[in-house]
Amino acid sequence: MNMTRKQARVSSRMVFVWFILIGFIFLLAPQGLTNKFQLAFVHIFRWPLRIGRNISLSARTERVLTDVVSRREHNQLQNYLANVTEELLQKHRKIEKLSKLRDRLYALEGAKLMTADIITASTDGHNELIINRGEMDGLGEGQFVLGDNSIIGTISEVSPRTAKVRLITDPSSKIAVKLGKLETVIQGDGKDSVKVPLLSIKHKIEIGQEIFARKKPGFLDAPVIIGTVEECKRDDANPILWDITVKPVCDISKLTDVAVIIMNPKE
Amino acid sequence: MRWSRFAVFVLIVTVLQASLVDIFAVTRLNIKPDLLLILLVFFSIYSDTTEAIITSFTIGFAADIIGPAIGPQMLSFGIFGTLLAYLHRVITIKKFLYKSVAIFITGFLAGVLAYFLTFLKGEPTASNVYAVLFGTCLYSSLAGPFLFLPSAWWMRIKTHRFGRRQA
Repeated sequence: MNMTRKQARVSSRMVFVWFILIGFIFLLAPQGLTNKFQLAFVHIFRWPLRIGRNISLSARTERVLTDVVSRREHNQLQNYLANVTEELLQKHRKIEKLSKLRDRLYALEGAKLMTADIITASTDGHNELIINRGEMDGLGEGQFVLGDNSIIGTISEVSPRTAKVRLITDPSSKIAVKLGKLETVIQGDGKDSVKVPLLSIKHKIEIGQEIFARKKPGFLDAPVIIGTVEECKRDDANPILWDITVKPVCDISKLTDVAVIIMNPKE
Repeated sequence: MRWSRFAVFVLIVTVLQASLVDIFAVTRLNIKPDLLLILLVFFSIYSDTTEAIITSFTIGFAADIIGPAIGPQMLSFGIFGTLLAYLHRVITIKKFLYKSVAIFITGFLAGVLAYFLTFLKGEPTASNVYAVLFGTCLYSSLAGPFLFLPSAWWMRIKTHRFGRRQA
């Protein structure tokens, strides 16, 4: 009896050690390799994930509406929204049928805008989206992503049918921008906004001033809006620098689809 | 343990956690219950030690699949799920309050370790991570014990059988 118990104890310890080893292998494996697991999961379960996200988005929208308008107005707006959504869907299908080139932004003459649905969105710590377009649709790392005609991020990982979008609010996101006549860089703060680091107080900054992503050969050939200056104060840690907070012009949490800018498409 | 039921259950909960749980998000920090953490505590309490180890690491892997990086949560969930299973040999976790406390403490410790491992991996981490972690654990600990019953039904586990385990 004692022998059996001892064997069982050793066995559970071995199981634990094996799993710990597997865990460390995953931890130390390159992120590019382990990302494939995540992208594969998203690809396999894209339908339930998208349905769940749409339900939670519509539930949130409903909650906001009931907070500020009467029930009657809410119902009217809901009906209007349903009509417009259906109309939009039909137009979307029509455009898709007529041409694979879904939409064009007047400023991006040579670019193809590839629309993509958002499968999952993560905003806790890692600000990223997973979209239902990938390498097979011409997507590549570094390409800019538009939401409501403004830059919301760049492609950070691609698999054949899905891609990860690193949002401008992610701490690891750095994008070259134009703030008035100034050329600088913005960096995400991990929350809902973006910071303009290392900018001297000798530069004049105004609240509400617009920030545009700078042209980047092969990725963007016209400046596109990113956000506006929400707050500008002296940096507490370094008083000779500004502490500038930029608010994205697009409400990323409410997006259901995005468009990826593909410069010089192969087709 | 009915492993096929477990696999289906974990897959469903992972998909729900990645999509539908956003409905229940509260505050500006977007705090929502962590269904996988609740499952971790459930299986640690209501399974044999070896099964608890396997389920803890598997649930951790599922949490990594929908998280920022693979590895941190698998290790942290695995370690604290195993510890909880061993702890359950000496402490009975039957009352609602004890289950809540178990979820909160396990979630918080596993979250801190996962944060540390994510940092070690060189991945960016949020500045307000402890506030989010505290909120998530609190929310999960309040909602968790209510989800034990449907989980037990699905897994065909008789919860009243599991008192303090014999070492």
